[in-house]
Amino acid sequence: MENGKKEPTVQIIGFREEIANIQTAIADFESGHNNLNVAIISEPYAGRTALMNEIEKMNPQKVTKYSFSSIVKNKDEIILSEHSKRIVLIDDCQFLYMRKIGGFDVLKEFLNLISNPAILFITTWNLYSWKYLDEVSKIGKFFPVQINLPKFTTSQLKESILSGYEKEEIKFVEDVEFEKEKIINLMKYPISIKPWNKAINLPYFKINYNILKLRLLKKEERVAIEDMIFEKIHHVSNGNPGVAKIVWQRSLEYPIIKPSKIKDESFNIELDYDESFVLNIILSTKSIKNDDLSQIVGLDFQVEKIIFQLSKLGLIKAEDGSCIIRPEALKSVVEFLKKSRLVW
Amino acid sequence: MIVLPIIDTGTMISSILVIVIAYLLVRVLTFVLVLISERSGQYRITVKMVIPLLKFSIYGIAAYYILANILKWESSQFILFGGLLGAAIGFGLKDLFADVIGGIVITLEKTFQVGDKIKMGDYYGEVIDIGLRATKLVTPDDNLVSAPNYLIFTQAVASANAGAPEMMVVIDLFIDPASDAVLAMKILKESVMTSKYVYISKKRPFTVLLKDYPFYRRLRAKSYVNDLRYEFEFESEVTRRAWKEFSRNGIEAPNVNILEAGVINQAK
Repeated sequence: MENGKKEPTVQIIGFREEIANIQTAIADFESGHNNLNVAIISEPYAGRTALMNEIEKMNPQKVTKYSFSSIVKNKDEIILSEHSKRIVLIDDCQFLYMRKIGGFDVLKEFLNLISNPAILFITTWNLYSWKYLDEVSKIGKFFPVQINLPKFTTSQLKESILSGYEKEEIKFVEDVEFEKEKIINLMKYPISIKPWNKAINLPYFKINYNILKLRLLKKEERVAIEDMIFEKIHHVSNGNPGVAKIVWQRSLEYPIIKPSKIKDESFNIELDYDESFVLNIILSTKSIKNDDLSQIVGLDFQVEKIIFQLSKLGLIKAEDGSCIIRPEALKSVVEFLKKSRLVW
Repeated sequence: MIVLPIIDTGTMISSILVIVIAYLLVRVLTFVLVLISERSGQYRITVKMVIPLLKFSIYGIAAYYILANILKWESSQFILFGGLLGAAIGFGLKDLFADVIGGIVITLEKTFQVGDKIKMGDYYGEVIDIGLRATKLVTPDDNLVSAPNYLIFTQAVASANAGAPEMMVVIDLFIDPASDAVLAMKILKESVMTSKYVYISKKRPFTVLLKDYPFYRRLRAKSYVNDLRYEFEFESEVTRRAWKEFSRNGIEAPNVNILEAGVINQAK
C-alpha cells in the first residue's frame, strides 16, 4: 500500500435525523398527504452529494436523480425526462443562476417547474448561494422542508474517517513535536506608517486555544491520543466532513498519524474589493468555469489576474479552465467574506 | 480671602507632562482602535464609537489630575476657578464652552458616531473624528470639514446609517415614457441585487418603484450598500450596468421635449 494514498470510503454517518426528515417527506408525498419540496443546504464539502446518493440508494425504483456540474444557461437543460419518476433528486442547484443582470431566468423557470404538485423535488444547494437567493428571490417559499446539514461532532468525524479502515489498521502515535507546540505564540502584525512610508511589525500574543484545550484534556487524562488527534482535526476542519477528510489524508503517513502532522492552515487574507467579490462567487458555487466567472463579473474585472492572485494565496485551485475553493482555506475564506460583508 | 497658589517651574512642567501624556495616550489608543475597527467588519462603527468616549474621559481625568493633584486646589480655589470660568465664558469663550458641551452630548447621547454618514448644517460626509471642539467630516469631494459641536443644539443632524455599517442609497433613473417600463424595472432590480456592493436582508430589503411624470418616467431603486464608504461606487455601478442593459434592450433616456418645445416656439 502506498504512503498515505489509501482513501477511506465515504460513509453516511451523522445525518440520521436529516435522512429521517427526508424519508418522512417522501412517505407523506407517496401517501398523498403532502407535497413538500425539500432543500438540503450546506457549505461546500459538507456532504450534500453523499447524502443525496444515500437517499437515492434508500429509494431505488422510486427516484430519478439529476445533477448539475456547471452553470445552466439554457432553460431546456432543466426539462425533466419523460422517464422521470415522481420523486426527483436534483444535486447542486446553485448552478441554476448567475449573479448578473438576466442571470435569473433559468432559476425562475426552475421554480415554475418545481411548483408542479405531482412531483416531489429534493434538491441540494450551496449554503452561500441559498442565503443570497433567499434574500433576493425568496426561494425558501418554494421549499417548505429545509434541511441545513449540521457540522460533524468529533466522534462523528472519527467514525466517518475510520469507517474506511480495518480495526487497528491506523496507528495513532504521540510525538515530541506536538509537545513543543506553544500555547501562547508571539505574533507580528504588520502596520504601514504612511507619513514615513515605513512598515513596522506590532508584536502581539495569540493564544492557541486548540493546543490549550488538548493539553488540559491530556492533563486530566481523559482522552487517548486517538481522540486528541480527532479533536484537532475537528478544530482545523470546523466540523466539515469533506475538509476533515482532506486534512486526514494530508496528515496521514500510512499507517501512522501523529498530532504534529495535523497543521492548522490559517490564512491571513488581504484582498481588494474585486478580488473579494470574485472569491465570493467561487465560494457560492464551490467550483466554477473561468468563462462563467467572466460572464458573471463582466468586463470590468481582470478575471485571469484575480484567479492567479487567489491561487497564489492558496485560497482556490485553478485547473482545466475552472476554479475551485480549496477545502483547507474554506474556514478562513468564509470568515474573511463575512467580515467584508459579502457573505450575509 | 482666597490665595492663589504660586505655580513654580516644577508644577508647570508636571502639568505640561500630564497634558502631553494624555495627548499621546489619546493618539495611540485612537490609532489602535481605528486599526482594530478596520479589521472588525460589521463591527467597525461599534468599535469606533469608543474613541470619542475615551478621548473625553482621558482629557477629563488629566484635567482633574492637574487641578487636584499637581496644583492641589482646595474647594475655595475651585469656586474661584468656577467664577473665572464663568466670566471667561461670558466674555467670549461661550462658543468654545458650547462646543465642549456639544461634544459631551454627542458622545453620551450618540446623536451620531465616528464612521456615520451625516448631514450637519450645510455639510454632508463621513464622521472621522468627534473632538473636544469640533466634529470632523470628510465630504464626498474629499474635503475635510470641521463642524463646531454646538451645531447639534441649533440644527437638525441627519444620520444616514445611525451606527450601522450599511446605509440606504436611493438611485433614480429616468427613461422615455415610450420605453418598456416593466422591462426597465426588471433590469434595474437585477442590477441592484447583483451589485457587488449591495446588502440585502430581512431588515434591509430593496425595492424598485416607478413614477410617471409629464415628459419622462422615473425609476427609483431603494437599497442598502454593504459599507457606507461605498455609497457612491454603489450608485455609479448600478446606474452604469442598468444603462448598459437598457440600451441593449432599446430602453431610452427621455427626449428633451421641453427644449424641443422651446425651439419650435422660437421658430414660430
